[in-house]
Amino acid sequence: MTLNLNPLVILLIFPGGLFLIVAGLAYEYVDRKLVARFQNRIGPRWFQPLADLLKLLSKEEITPRGVQRDLFYLLPLFALASTLTASLYVPMAGLTPAYAFQGDLIVTIYLLSVLTLSMGLAGASTVDRFALVGATRTLTQLFSYEAPFMLALLGPAIAAQTWQIRTINEYAGQNLWLMIAQPIGFLVALLGLMGKLELPPFDAPEAETEIVAGALTEYSGRGLALFRLSKDIELVIGLTLVAAFYLGGIHSPLDFLIKTLGLLLVVALLQTLFARLRIDQVVGLWWRIGTILVVIQLIAIVIGRYIGSSIF
Amino acid sequence: MSQEAVQEDLLNRALEAIRSWVQVEKTPQPNRVDVVIRREDLLTVVETLKQIQWGYLSAITGMDHPAVELGQEGSAQEGYVEVLYHFCEKDKVLTLRVSVPYSDAVIPSICGILPSATLYERELSEMFGVQIEGTPDTNRLLLPDNWPEGVYPLRKAFTGLEEAKEGSNE
Amino acid sequence: MSEKFVIPIGPQHPALKEPSHFEIFVDGEEVIKATLRLGYVHRGIEKGAEQRTWTQNLYLMERICGICSHVHAMAFVQGVEALAGVQAPPRARAIRQVVAELERLHSHLLWLGVAAHEAGFDALFMYSWRDRETVMDLLELLSGNRVNYSANLLGGVKFDVTPEQKVRILDGVSFLEERVRYYLSVVNSDETFLGRTRGVGILSREEAERLGAVGPTARASGVPRDVRVDVPYAAYSEFPIKMVLSQQGDLQARFVVRLEELFESIRVIREILNNLPESELTVRMPRRIPAGEVISRVEAPRGELFYFIVSNGSDRPERVKVRTPSLANWGTVLATAPGHKLADVPMLVAGIDPCFSCNDRMVVVKTAR
Repeated sequence: MTLNLNPLVILLIFPGGLFLIVAGLAYEYVDRKLVARFQNRIGPRWFQPLADLLKLLSKEEITPRGVQRDLFYLLPLFALASTLTASLYVPMAGLTPAYAFQGDLIVTIYLLSVLTLSMGLAGASTVDRFALVGATRTLTQLFSYEAPFMLALLGPAIAAQTWQIRTINEYAGQNLWLMIAQPIGFLVALLGLMGKLELPPFDAPEAETEIVAGALTEYSGRGLALFRLSKDIELVIGLTLVAAFYLGGIHSPLDFLIKTLGLLLVVALLQTLFARLRIDQVVGLWWRIGTILVVIQLIAIVIGRYIGSSIF
Repeated sequence: MSQEAVQEDLLNRALEAIRSWVQVEKTPQPNRVDVVIRREDLLTVVETLKQIQWGYLSAITGMDHPAVELGQEGSAQEGYVEVLYHFCEKDKVLTLRVSVPYSDAVIPSICGILPSATLYERELSEMFGVQIEGTPDTNRLLLPDNWPEGVYPLRKAFTGLEEAKEGSNE
Repeated sequence: MSEKFVIPIGPQHPALKEPSHFEIFVDGEEVIKATLRLGYVHRGIEKGAEQRTWTQNLYLMERICGICSHVHAMAFVQGVEALAGVQAPPRARAIRQVVAELERLHSHLLWLGVAAHEAGFDALFMYSWRDRETVMDLLELLSGNRVNYSANLLGGVKFDVTPEQKVRILDGVSFLEERVRYYLSVVNSDETFLGRTRGVGILSREEAERLGAVGPTARASGVPRDVRVDVPYAAYSEFPIKMVLSQQGDLQARFVVRLEELFESIRVIREILNNLPESELTVRMPRRIPAGEVISRVEAPRGELFYFIVSNGSDRPERVKVRTPSLANWGTVLATAPGHKLADVPMLVAGIDPCFSCNDRMVVVKTAR
């Protein structure tokens, strides 16, 4: 099924632009509601994320003293643009990715990291002390989960022997769910996604009881709205990617809904289950445990393929 | 020895150790002893209490005794601040009382011996205008930053700031 | 960021439920030094007390702190009763103790939630605050108020415990006992939470004694210091309490000590309610209190609360000095913070269960007309 869509539609409506914004807000709502219910709270109403977004957009935007003005205003746009672009290579809503080429997996992973980088830079471009500490933590965390996360997505790629998300998606659909074949990779990918989104227990970079709002402390109005929106969108894309790789691929809108929402349920549960990890504990966890486990799994996959190919 | 006797012993043990510096001794409540000591002896007494490991510094209280301008006998008496160091051990309380006159309201800091005293000392110095010699930090602890110098709210003479009074005239 | 860097915490900061100001000197993530500035909620209560009658002061003292309002009033009335040479009737003293222990339940559960929130463990925060509502309801049932219970009168208490109320309180505390047992197991077994509490902020017994720590902070370091045991007041000599001690001295020990204390509180509430002495609720108090000085000490949820009351024989006190437990415990935070990570500081602060309203009392805001 190849849709010959006008590129403008692709960018502005589906899978870019409008669809992702709506999906992002919807997923944020589901996440918040689930966490609230797990914590025995009532939680927000369905339009709350949209109301938050509109309110922030309509608020005055304050330019704090001592910031790099251009960077300060460009970074939120940059973050949003990158996350939107990343959606083009992902089987959004179970439809074939809008674009695909050999190696688009690497590009997508890179585009997904831009949000975190932008937030780090945004914090570092102000003179606020909380933002500076937050930025340091954001980037520290980026360096700790990025490698294992990438390796975790590499596992399915090696198994499918391609660097193209569309092909991996198809491969995943034809074979045993990779979640069962590569359980470590699945776990690391899911946790890496939570780290990327700075969800508890990986929320040290924005630990409110220590550094207020972390890197985004100085942001208000539109800038903050765009950053939050980017985060919501990244949540959708990240869930799609993990579902496509590890949960037997995504092949229809219903498939997409069930699998991503199922993952979101797990993510929400993990968020309520743990106390926040200190930044040094995060780094230790990823490098000492995460990376090693994924590397072991990768070696196992490679050996498995080698043995498999030598038998047949 | 019965429980009572052990308890009785506690206060006696402290008193024996510091006896030579005690000017006046009072027992206002059965479980308490108040001793008046001279300012010069304060550090020695506190050091002694620490050495015999008697109690912990529970609080430092200030009490203001304003000047008696014209007494019955016509003799004016200078106002003074009485500083009370309360040491507690089990149910016993030993209070060291030191008096300093307004004109020379300085008292040595006991932080060198008991570091926990610093917050109490700073409170005392802000509220009663007693200068604490040698306390590690003399920044404002409790009073606002714009509080006028030389106004000590817990002295009896203080009845409110002028500007506050003006502001309340509706 | 290798040079010294000052992180201000407060006066307004999400970690602080009430205003105070810390300056945390950090090197990267590591704390080098911490300083403290208080006084943002000064209300001039000690000065104000000198201008009010004994009865008016009872209500003023109750408003020093919203969390432990009852112990403040109790310390005050016990001091004044001692000055007047009056003893409250047995039933009144027993009811005072019941309210004090219920207050401890509510205060410790509140603290558990706050401390869990500081650790980023919001699920525990929400659950413990939900359960805290039970004890708030019980206090409202007894006194009609959720916060300032106004249980005390000079010479007695204001309300009795009816048999129906007794049944509901017993039900309520049984439910809480179950919950506290569960929280204790969470605090002792959740790995991520232990990662934030075990071995953090260790305060040795010598340090705790040297710094004059009081209450659960001292007891978690193995210092046997509990006014309820040392100087039994209210009905604590008839219904004694067992001191809960731990030798570990870290944050985990402070959690364990506080939670285990609650079992004692629940036990003693049950015991009193089942054996409530029969007597009047009040005795007559003179309007003018004989001249004298008195020290009144009680064990607030946070530790020893110290009142020094001076009467000059009139209907107003000459001087009321209040030393609250938080003030005594600050030294332990400032002393243990260096060497810890910045992320641990809010936990260390929460570890002593600070109460800023209690700390700050004195500046005159009242104006003379």
